[in-house]
Amino acid sequence: MYTDEIVRIFKESNVEVGDIVRLSYGNHVVEGIIMPRPESGDSNVIIIKRTDGYNMGVGYNKSIKIQKIGKRNAATHTVKKVIAKSNVDVHLLYTGGTIGSKIDYVTGGVYMLTKPEELLSEVPELSDVANIHVENLMSVASDDISYKEWIVIAKHAADALNSGAKGVVITMGTDTMHYTAAALSFMLDDLSGPVVITGAQRSSDRGSSDAFMNLICATNAAAKSDIGEVSICMHASMSDDYCNMLRGTKTRKLHTSRRDAFKPINEKPIAKVSLSGNMTYTNNYRKVDRNNKTKLLTGFEPKVAMLKAYPNSDPEILDYYIEKGYKGVIIEGTGLGHMAVSTAHKEYNWLNAIRKATDKGMIVGITSQCIYGRVNSKVYRNARLMHDAGAVYCEDMLPETAYVKLGFLLGNKSRDDSRLLLNKNMRGEITERTGEEEFGSFYA
Amino acid sequence: MKRNSGLFMHDKTYYEKLGFKCGLEIHQRLSVSKKLFCNCDAHYDKGSKIGDIERRQRAVTGELGGRDVSAEFESMKKKRFRYNIFDSKTCLVDIDEEPPQDLNAEALDIAMLISKSLNADVPDEIEPMRKGVVDGSDPSAFQRSMLVGYDGNLKIDKVEVGIPTIFLEEESCGIVAHDGDSVTYDTDRLGIPLIEIDTDPIIHTPIEAKNVARTIGLILRLSGKVQRGIGSIRQDVNISIIGGTRVEIKGFQDIEHMDEVIDKEIERQIGLIEIKNILKNRNAEVGIEKELSHVFMKTSAKIIRDQMSTKGIVIGLRLAGFAGLLSKEIGKGMRLGREMSDYAKTSGVKGIIHSDEKLDAYGISSDEMSDVKKELNVIDDDAFVLIVGKEDVCREAIRMVKIRAEMAFEGVPSETRAVSNEQTTRFLRPIPTGSRMYPETDVLPIVPSKKTFDKIDIKKTSVVLRKEIGIEQLAEQMLWSKYLHTYEDIRKRTGADPLVISVTLLEKFRELKRSGIDVDMIDDQTLVAIFNSYKEGVITKAGIEEILKRTPRNQKEVKKIIESEKLERISGSELKELVHKFEGTGRDKIRRIMEKYRLNIDGEELSKIVNRDDDGK
Repeated sequence: MYTDEIVRIFKESNVEVGDIVRLSYGNHVVEGIIMPRPESGDSNVIIIKRTDGYNMGVGYNKSIKIQKIGKRNAATHTVKKVIAKSNVDVHLLYTGGTIGSKIDYVTGGVYMLTKPEELLSEVPELSDVANIHVENLMSVASDDISYKEWIVIAKHAADALNSGAKGVVITMGTDTMHYTAAALSFMLDDLSGPVVITGAQRSSDRGSSDAFMNLICATNAAAKSDIGEVSICMHASMSDDYCNMLRGTKTRKLHTSRRDAFKPINEKPIAKVSLSGNMTYTNNYRKVDRNNKTKLLTGFEPKVAMLKAYPNSDPEILDYYIEKGYKGVIIEGTGLGHMAVSTAHKEYNWLNAIRKATDKGMIVGITSQCIYGRVNSKVYRNARLMHDAGAVYCEDMLPETAYVKLGFLLGNKSRDDSRLLLNKNMRGEITERTGEEEFGSFYA
Repeated sequence: MKRNSGLFMHDKTYYEKLGFKCGLEIHQRLSVSKKLFCNCDAHYDKGSKIGDIERRQRAVTGELGGRDVSAEFESMKKKRFRYNIFDSKTCLVDIDEEPPQDLNAEALDIAMLISKSLNADVPDEIEPMRKGVVDGSDPSAFQRSMLVGYDGNLKIDKVEVGIPTIFLEEESCGIVAHDGDSVTYDTDRLGIPLIEIDTDPIIHTPIEAKNVARTIGLILRLSGKVQRGIGSIRQDVNISIIGGTRVEIKGFQDIEHMDEVIDKEIERQIGLIEIKNILKNRNAEVGIEKELSHVFMKTSAKIIRDQMSTKGIVIGLRLAGFAGLLSKEIGKGMRLGREMSDYAKTSGVKGIIHSDEKLDAYGISSDEMSDVKKELNVIDDDAFVLIVGKEDVCREAIRMVKIRAEMAFEGVPSETRAVSNEQTTRFLRPIPTGSRMYPETDVLPIVPSKKTFDKIDIKKTSVVLRKEIGIEQLAEQMLWSKYLHTYEDIRKRTGADPLVISVTLLEKFRELKRSGIDVDMIDDQTLVAIFNSYKEGVITKAGIEEILKRTPRNQKEVKKIIESEKLERISGSELKELVHKFEGTGRDKIRRIMEKYRLNIDGEELSKIVNRDDDGK
């Protein structure tokens, strides 16, 4: 926002943001379009987009003369309607995120498209792959997505599949994509078509965005594959050559900015999808059953928390959750699933706190902050103590997936069933064996 | 027009009558340790390649709606871009895998110094922008660029040239290979700070253009903060004449030929305007393409047969009223036919065949020729174009030829052209429009510091050089020479006689280069070592040249050469002893001694000793 004085001067000069003006000051005459003032920077500096396309800041002072010389043309940008050449129906559920982001002059950052068709018009070749029905569910950053949004998305995905769509593509922000993928994996059962989640690490207003290939690969997978699971489709490497199809319950964002940030954990990718749409399957997967209807389970218990074990961590935090009526907690333990439970420093000893929590009926699940590997309650004394105190060891399940799963179980099943099912495989979130190649292969 | 040894020589009124307009864009890489928006090493020497990635890019809708013509054009080409990644020279920021870091403050300071030296003002707030780039030369598909100076000027003699804009931006990738749809780039150069200085398009003559370019180049060098060597400075020239439109010429390897290139470009534009008028009189038009593969089923034209045998097709296009104009010379070696061919080549074909050529030379029979004419309805002053190749490539190529043919009705197309051999220019791509700019949202606006700078002053340097070197002409030569920095480096670090340094760098270097010795291979460090030996009395002035002839690579090699070639200076008591061993007196004695010890004895010292001896006798 500009200062009140600038706003007043604009008004007096009959100038609005977006108008073409001539600014005269000192020896200078600068012509161009008045741009909105981003929140960042000095609000007493007028930003003008010069005729050469460059923006520059002109510090306001009383000697500046502002003269309107023209009105900016209304945005000429119209969304071209893309006519589908394919008759394979795919539903695209749009939720926002970087994949649909554009420059925002108000915040100086990027904003999310409100018309997802704009995104499709940038990728006209999708019309060869599928007849895409866009459903604009929301336009939010993935950090702002809660279980309430998961339910909305799950419902639309089930509806789409049950009304004849061959597959579903969901576009969203990447930060919490793996949580959404896990949630949809549990909420949707007996999938009658692929549900593919995709997004971008670079906004789609730049020519180098990963959005285009991700969208092309995801749409191909939704239209052509028989993967009856919820999967994440994102760049496999930093090259724009193919995407990985990653199991929704076994995937994590492992990099803040790289386009290949999503990696399978304790698991191989289900398949590769090339830019030209070729699928190469690299793992076992559940095949779609086209004769069945997709089932939807939308219960979710939000009173589940995640905790991380670390040196000097305070066990009293569990008391807080007990008091607040939480029904479950997933702990990211150290190593094989440990916490300080043998320490002589009483104030850092978690054993009583865990016992108290389980006595109160709370489900305490143990995963590992190592991310890779499987927890085990039998090797070290500390884990045995935690296990005996009632904690459930969650095998090779990701902490995030365990968190989502516990919320899902408690929202749909009894407490006892939930506790029993927490460390039993339901949607590929727990594997029986871990192969050699399932760790760190992406460093090669 | 009169020709003079292959060059056009014109006076000012010639350019005035043509309505000649010319402006320059000078790009200069800065010499700083880090890149503009990341902490990678910004020295331009090859690191070691540690990997590569492949990328696709596409044209996206710009900030103000509509797409950029040139962006669409490049995008259409469906290129695959491969980026080589280098140790310590490439990080995730370079390859668009991480947002940019803070702006390099040192680079901004240099840009501000140069802006002030060109009497330009720095904006109150600098807004980093993204300038769309779709030829793949930037992995992010844009170049970060910002306006750092505006409304400046440059005075040369009595001429004042406006410097409306000065930009600080990121260097692009260096291209290493171009193979069909695949282009390979090195990312080591990418992101090195670059300053761009633009002049107003008011330069009156090609010579003036050259002078302006030279002067800006000197100001940049005098900042002491610019990279040297091939490619570290690039000059783009914008030219137009009445009846034409703006054409941008890139890729001047050598500023010395700038005026010649501009003259040839003017000639080309005149030629195109002439063609435009002829086409108008003939009511010319561009026809509709037609597949003619069936005409050539049994052809003996090798170029066509080879393509047909690998599923290629032949497409023909009638160009009504174009006969004779495709081969009409529009400047030396330049023809409309070649311009069409350059457009066609962007689709991947090797070239085009047209009716102004000797078609029998291709092996096309007269029957085939008359069939083609019949099929395309070619009559009288019509011309035609044939393209052979794979169908999609062919169709694209013919589309490009049609675009260029339509442009002929307008005269001069708005293009970016590259300097090629013989100082002529070739089509590179259409001139990009202004809609490809949008703000760099990952970086905050920058408030420049209020610190003051001592302006770079050519005159001041000129006065200093005159005083140091003592000979006005030599001092002036040194001022404009590319060795100015080397000179200053040697002078400051060795304290050797400025006259000896400048004679060596300007005259000896020229002589040695003429005799085929690449003295430019010797780096400044080594030159300092040589002059140090001279200053310390280890070698004589004549010894300097002997060492240069052997192009040493470092101090160690300099030492070795001095030893192996026996270049050690003989002086003082040693020289006296030597003098006493020779009979005779005066000049004759000096001559005989010098004959034997030319490289080891300083003539002045010798004559002093001999004269003293003579006087003593």
